[in-house]
Amino acid sequence: MIMNFKKIIIKYFLIISLVGTLISCGSDTDIVTPDLNSSEETSNQEKNIAPGLMTEKKSDDSGDKNRGGVLKRLWADPATLDPHLVTDTTSAGLVVELFSGLVSLNSDLEIVPELAESWNISDDGKVYTFKLKENILFSDGTPITASDFKWSLERAAHPDTESPVASIYLEDIVGSMEVIDGDGSITDISGIKVIDDNTLQLTIDAPKAYFLAKLTYPTAYVVKKENVEQGGDNWTDSPVGTGPFILSEYSIGEVLVIRRNDNYWGEKAKLDGVEFNLAGGVAMAMYENDEIDITGVGLADLERVKDVNDPLNNDLVSVPPSFTVTYIGFNVNEPPFDDLKFRLALNYAVDKQLIASQVYSGLVKPAYGILPPNFPGFSLDITGIGYDPDKAVQLLAESKYADSSNRPPIIVTVPGTGGSPSLDMEVVSDMWDRILGVQVEIQQVEWATYLQDLHRRRLQVWGGSGWQADYPDPQDFIDILFHSNSTNNHGNYTNQEADKLLEDARTEQDVYKRISLYNQAEQLIIDDAPWLPMWFDQEGLALIKPWVKGFNFTPMIVPKMKDVYIDKS
Amino acid sequence: MFYYILRRIIWTPILLLIISLIVFIMGLYGPGDPVEVQLGQNYSEERAERIREAKGLNDPLYIQYFRYIGNALKGDFGESYKYPSKKVSELLKPKLVVSAKLFLASIFITILLGIPLGFYSALRQGSWIDPSVVALTLVLYAMPVFLIAPVLIIVFSLELGWFPVSGWGGFFDKRIILPAITIGIPGVAVLTRIMRASTLDVLGNEFVRTARAKGLTDLVVNYRHVARNALIPVVTILGFSIAGMLGGALIVELIFGIPGVGRFALDSIFSRDYPVIMALTLIGAISLIVANLIVDIFYVILDPRIRY
Repeated sequence: MIMNFKKIIIKYFLIISLVGTLISCGSDTDIVTPDLNSSEETSNQEKNIAPGLMTEKKSDDSGDKNRGGVLKRLWADPATLDPHLVTDTTSAGLVVELFSGLVSLNSDLEIVPELAESWNISDDGKVYTFKLKENILFSDGTPITASDFKWSLERAAHPDTESPVASIYLEDIVGSMEVIDGDGSITDISGIKVIDDNTLQLTIDAPKAYFLAKLTYPTAYVVKKENVEQGGDNWTDSPVGTGPFILSEYSIGEVLVIRRNDNYWGEKAKLDGVEFNLAGGVAMAMYENDEIDITGVGLADLERVKDVNDPLNNDLVSVPPSFTVTYIGFNVNEPPFDDLKFRLALNYAVDKQLIASQVYSGLVKPAYGILPPNFPGFSLDITGIGYDPDKAVQLLAESKYADSSNRPPIIVTVPGTGGSPSLDMEVVSDMWDRILGVQVEIQQVEWATYLQDLHRRRLQVWGGSGWQADYPDPQDFIDILFHSNSTNNHGNYTNQEADKLLEDARTEQDVYKRISLYNQAEQLIIDDAPWLPMWFDQEGLALIKPWVKGFNFTPMIVPKMKDVYIDKS
Repeated sequence: MFYYILRRIIWTPILLLIISLIVFIMGLYGPGDPVEVQLGQNYSEERAERIREAKGLNDPLYIQYFRYIGNALKGDFGESYKYPSKKVSELLKPKLVVSAKLFLASIFITILLGIPLGFYSALRQGSWIDPSVVALTLVLYAMPVFLIAPVLIIVFSLELGWFPVSGWGGFFDKRIILPAITIGIPGVAVLTRIMRASTLDVLGNEFVRTARAKGLTDLVVNYRHVARNALIPVVTILGFSIAGMLGGALIVELIFGIPGVGRFALDSIFSRDYPVIMALTLIGAISLIVANLIVDIFYVILDPRIRY
């Protein structure tokens, strides 16, 4: 998904300048990224907890020592709780606790069975037969069958559902695009077959190694037909799910409470519930006052919490970076970016190391490739384009736009409001000017307009945004962003050799060969310089109360609350 | 006076109609396409078209406008874009109640502190108390809410532990105190200064001297003759500072985590939830107009000399 880089950086600077050392906010991937609209708050310790949670706590505490408690977190209002509509991390973080699908990601980002007990893949790699677990139940106690999955997947794909992501996650299933792009009259996806109550068969259009990874995304989750149909547009007000928790209370802008689902198929959640506060507040102060259990650490508090004499220092944990790459994109159809040497010159002229340390105080890591470090397929052997001013000058001289008089004007579009573009973009344009004498105009447009123009490929150069992984597979970056036919190839990049590699990689069953195909494609793309890669996310810091046990920070959204418990003894 | 109020009341809907038209046009030409907001980046033109048709976005503008106004009069501001299928009015109602309560508490604090402080300071003119109060109000007035709030939090929550940092429990919950003070402080400063100036003004009047000459006690003179007359300009200022406080309330709700309308408004602006933004603008406009009307009526009650 496209993410707004400036918003995240602004989150640090704006809030710091607003309330000095007091406000800090979630800097880790699953503490939501409170851009202004999502700083949060705990309503109050006991009062606002759903009554059910309090009584349950007592009955469950007897027996198992490692059970019980209510975790209090900061969150923002989810855009939706309908798994089929989820596109953002704020919603996904809640939805993965309430619903589930055939497969899931664990904390190590491995694909593990969830409601499916096992599956086998046909020899040609196109037919997936899932065996569901025995006696699995919805949270209301009714059994889950293969037909529920068929209904759910078809609902996700149906145009009336208006899922913005159905085409991304379900397109591989045979017949799905007819439904997604249809007028609503076709509802049956031919590639989904119910063999019996416990067996579901999915047929995809080509052997694609990343298909299972896509099924971990909420678009492929199971929902209950009666619940959805009876609830109408508001069915998520009282959703029947399959996840380790169920929704207990939600008032928009105030609080969202989930509590343990006793009909969950696996080991039941240890927590009685989680209270997500949606009303905003000064995260750091709330943490210090024990009103919330987890918070990210912003720049302003960095020095204080790193001081070993500060009591907060004991609670400090590091948060793995999210899989994100920020970049400046070039539209290779638009002069002067149709010239490779010109694009390379701009790449060589930027000293990212300097910007990372001086502008962002080390909050970001310079990017020289496309895949973020530690992401599946990331390779150290990729040669990126480093800072080399002499080479930049030489390349510009060799390019057909060496003479500034025949160089078309360059307009860099960045998203945002407020009139001042992100500082890094200003520094980059200054470096281009000083080293190459290439002057650019920076134009700031509002985020929605930016997305629209990007989508319609109307931008000549664009910066200030990035790409964040949707599922742990290199296809999610390299194929989706650079294949000639991909809708997300916003810069009209084409390279037949790369296309061939990417297409081969889609169906290659050997993991190592597949990764090597992606690495080759990535190298080709970097050498063609359709991008100026800027940043990867850097490891962040968070504070977590000592009584919170079993909580793992992960670089992607995965269900994780069921293993957490509170131990105040 | 009756005619004056009647005229004001007749003007109010016309004013509102003009405001609503402006609000409607702003929503129409604001950045971003509501359908795109709903569908995200991956959508087909046909699907977008179907939604536009269903939402009535393809109708002529004047029809859209009158439909909007017609529904708004019934308290129906349409459905939120961000929370499809949720009525804007249902979303806003609980938040408006929270904000109104907080606001009431702030005004209460402003009046309770500002008026006596200004009055007392004027009566003590010439002693050290008066300049101290003036200096204090200057300092208070210069402090922005985003300085006051953290100071209050550090002192009263983190150091003394008297109040929680954030949260909301209604009018009679202690968590209302810090945010109400934060919103109220600039008002206290203004009110104190106005009340002081106004009191000094009245003290110099002949009727005060006459009252004292009649042998009335200080208490009676001060309260019946001085304070009542001194309040007239204060009421005007109060009306204005209410408008100013609204802006501060937005940030204060954010800092103290109060589930009021402020945070919701910001959220809506960032997610281009036009129905919510339009509803809030209209409600804001109505509140201001009504507040002004009330101030004008109070004038007349306080000072029978005022005629319109």
